[in-house]
Amino acid sequence: MTNGSGPVPPPLRGVDRAALAAGLTRRLRDRGVSVDLSAAEGFVRALAAQPPSTRTELYWTARISLVRRQSDLAAFDALFAALFTEAGLGADPHARRRPLPPTGTLTAVPAPTAPAQHGSGLPWATLPAVVGGSDHAADAGPAVPQRMPTAAAGLTDVPFEALDDEQLALLDAWLGAQLPRLPTRRTRRLAARRSGSRAALRETMARSRRTSWEPIELVRIRPVRRPRRLVLLCDVSRSMQAEATAYLQLGRALVRAADAEVFAFATGLTRLTPVLRRRSAAAAMAQATEAVGDRFGGTRIAANLHALLASRHANLLRGAIVLIGSDGWDSCPAAELATELARVRRRAHRILWINPRAGAPGFRPRVASMAAALPYCDRVLPGDTFAALRRVIDAIADCDLPVRGPVRTTA
Amino acid sequence: MTNELTDAATLADRMQRVGYLVDEGLATALFFAVRLGQPVLLEGEPGVGKTTAAKALAGALDTTLIRLQCYEGLTASEALYEWNYQRQLLAIRLAESRGDRLRDADLFTAEFLSDRPILQAIRFAGPRPPVLLIDEIDRADDEFEALLFEFLGEAAVSIPEIGTFTARRRPIVVLTSNRSRELHDALRRRCLYHWIEFPAAARVAQILRRAVPGADGSLIASAADFVGRVRILELDKPPGLAEVIDWVSALSLLGVTELTRPAAERTLAALAKTADDRDTVADAFDALDEPDTTRA
Repeated sequence: MTNGSGPVPPPLRGVDRAALAAGLTRRLRDRGVSVDLSAAEGFVRALAAQPPSTRTELYWTARISLVRRQSDLAAFDALFAALFTEAGLGADPHARRRPLPPTGTLTAVPAPTAPAQHGSGLPWATLPAVVGGSDHAADAGPAVPQRMPTAAAGLTDVPFEALDDEQLALLDAWLGAQLPRLPTRRTRRLAARRSGSRAALRETMARSRRTSWEPIELVRIRPVRRPRRLVLLCDVSRSMQAEATAYLQLGRALVRAADAEVFAFATGLTRLTPVLRRRSAAAAMAQATEAVGDRFGGTRIAANLHALLASRHANLLRGAIVLIGSDGWDSCPAAELATELARVRRRAHRILWINPRAGAPGFRPRVASMAAALPYCDRVLPGDTFAALRRVIDAIADCDLPVRGPVRTTA
Repeated sequence: MTNELTDAATLADRMQRVGYLVDEGLATALFFAVRLGQPVLLEGEPGVGKTTAAKALAGALDTTLIRLQCYEGLTASEALYEWNYQRQLLAIRLAESRGDRLRDADLFTAEFLSDRPILQAIRFAGPRPPVLLIDEIDRADDEFEALLFEFLGEAAVSIPEIGTFTARRRPIVVLTSNRSRELHDALRRRCLYHWIEFPAAARVAQILRRAVPGADGSLIASAADFVGRVRILELDKPPGLAEVIDWVSALSLLGVTELTRPAAERTLAALAKTADDRDTVADAFDALDEPDTTRA
C-alpha cells in the first residue's frame, strides 16, 4: 500500500476537496466504517494543509484523518486500493471539466484499465450507493435500487461462511423487510372490484334497489387473488453447512410473511414450518436444529422428493412456487432425481433452484444431478451472499410475470 | 520553527536528526497534529515507540515536553489543576496580621493555582507551543476521558472559581494507548488517529543501528530477522522495539558479533518477559543454527 509513488500525476488536481471528502466518507460508511462529520472536516483541513502530491501521501492523509480504530484499517485499505490503486480515472468528474493550465503531466493520466468497480464512479461523484446488484443483474432484469441500513449494506457481498450470529440476526431483520411484494394466484372466488372485467348482474340488481330498481351503478367483479403458496426445500447436508442457516432464515421470513412451507432434508425429510413460525429467530433456529436429526449428513435429494410426494404434504406443492436450496450434490442416481422433479414440475407453478455455487464466476452445472435437474427448473439462482438472496426474493416476486423467452419443455 | 514546517518530509528529516526514525505514516500524523492543532492518538502494540515518538517530536520542534502519565484513579487535581491550600492559608494569615479583609475572590485567583500538566500546557509561556504527551490513556478511567474533552476540543480548561483558560497557541497533544481497553468514541472523534505497525526487519535493523551504535552489523541484521520470526509465534508478550534494543545492547555488551545459541540464551531475559515466553523463545533459538546452514 505504501509503495506506488510512481509516475502518477498529482492525484487531486483541481478536485473539489469537500466533495472528495464527502464521497470518500460515504463510501467508508457503506463499508461499515463509522466516520463522523468532524473526521471529514479534518480530512478537508488536512488536504488544505498539505496537498498530497503522491498517492501514498493521499493514503496517509485520508487514513490518519478518517479512520479512528485499528479494526477499520482493513476496510479502509480495501476501499483505497479499489478507488485509487486499481481503478484508473475512468470517468470525467465534474470538478475536472474546467480547463486546466496545460501541463505536460496531464497527458500521463492513465487510461481506464480496470473494470468499473462496485458502486461505480469516482469518490468525488457523490451518488447514493445503491444495492440491488450491479454485478449479476443481467439475469434479474431491471432491479429496483434498494437503500439499506449501513450495517446490512456492508454485508451484501459477504459470503455466508463468514457470517457470525449477530450478522445472522441482522439478516433476519433484513429479510423480513424485503418481503412486502409476494406473488399471488387467481382464485375461483369472485368479488366486486371497480376494475373488474365482468359485470355482476346479481349485485347490480341488488344495488338498483336504492334507485327505484333503475340499474344506474354497474357493479363489476373479478377473481380474488390470494398469496401463492411457497415451498422451500432446504438442503442441510454437510456440503451446505454454511448456507443452510441463511436459507432457513429465508424460510423463516417466508413462513412468517407468506405462510410458506419449509422442509429440511439431508438423508431424511423434516417439516420445519411450525418450528420456524416462532417469534424469536434464535429460538426458532435452535428448535429447527433440534428437529433435524440428520443435520450435516449426506444428501439424498431424489429420495426426499419422493418422500415428500408420498406424504400428506404432497398437495402443498400444487400450484406452489417451489424453492430448492441445494448445491446439487446427490447420492441418488441422477435419473431418479429427474423423475421426481418431473412429478414436482407437473404439480408446481414454478421451480426455482438456489445454488450457492452458482454465484462463482464461470459456473457450469457439471454435477450429474444438477445437470439432470436443470430442464425442470425455471431459474437457477446463485445464493451465496445477501445480495444474491435479495435477487432470489426478486425472482420469487417475478413469478407473477408471464414466462419470458422460449417456452420450457416438460417431460 | 513551527512555521518553517512545510510538509511531513521536513518533520521526518528533523526527527531523524534527533535520533528517531519515522516512517511516512507517523510523520504525516505528527505533521498534521502540529499543523492543524488537532490532538493525535497513537495506538500500537507495546514497545513500538509511541512514547518515544512524542519525545522525539518535542526534540525535533525544539520545545518542551510536558508529560502526563495516566493511571487508574487519575483525577482532575493531578491532571488539570489544584488549589494551593497552603498559600491560601498563608495569605489569610498575612491578611489578618495586616488587618485586611479578604474576600473569596481574592483567594481564588490564578496565583493560588498549582498547574498540573494540562493547565501547564495551556498556560505555557515559551516561544513555541509545548508538546503535551498524555501517555497510556487507556490506563485512566472512562471518567477521565470525559474530563479531557474540553481540553482536546477547544484547548481550554474551565475553572469554576475563575473562568476559562484558553491556550494562546494550541499545545501539540499526543495521546498514546496500548488498547488495554476500548476508548470512547467521543475521544476518538476529537483526535487524529494513527496505528503504528511493528516495523519490518529492514527497518528494525536501521533503528537498531541508530540505537545501539556499538553493535556489530551482522549481529543487528540477524537479531532483526530473528525478532521478526519470534513475533509470529504465540507469545504472551511479543517483544517490542524497546525489548529488541535492550537485547541487542545486552548482546553487544557481551561482545557478541554473531548471533549464536549460547549467546542468545544468556540474554534471553531481555527478550522474553514471562515464564511461558521463555520456553517458546528458547525453542525458537533451536532454529537459530539451522537456517544458517541451509542458507549457506
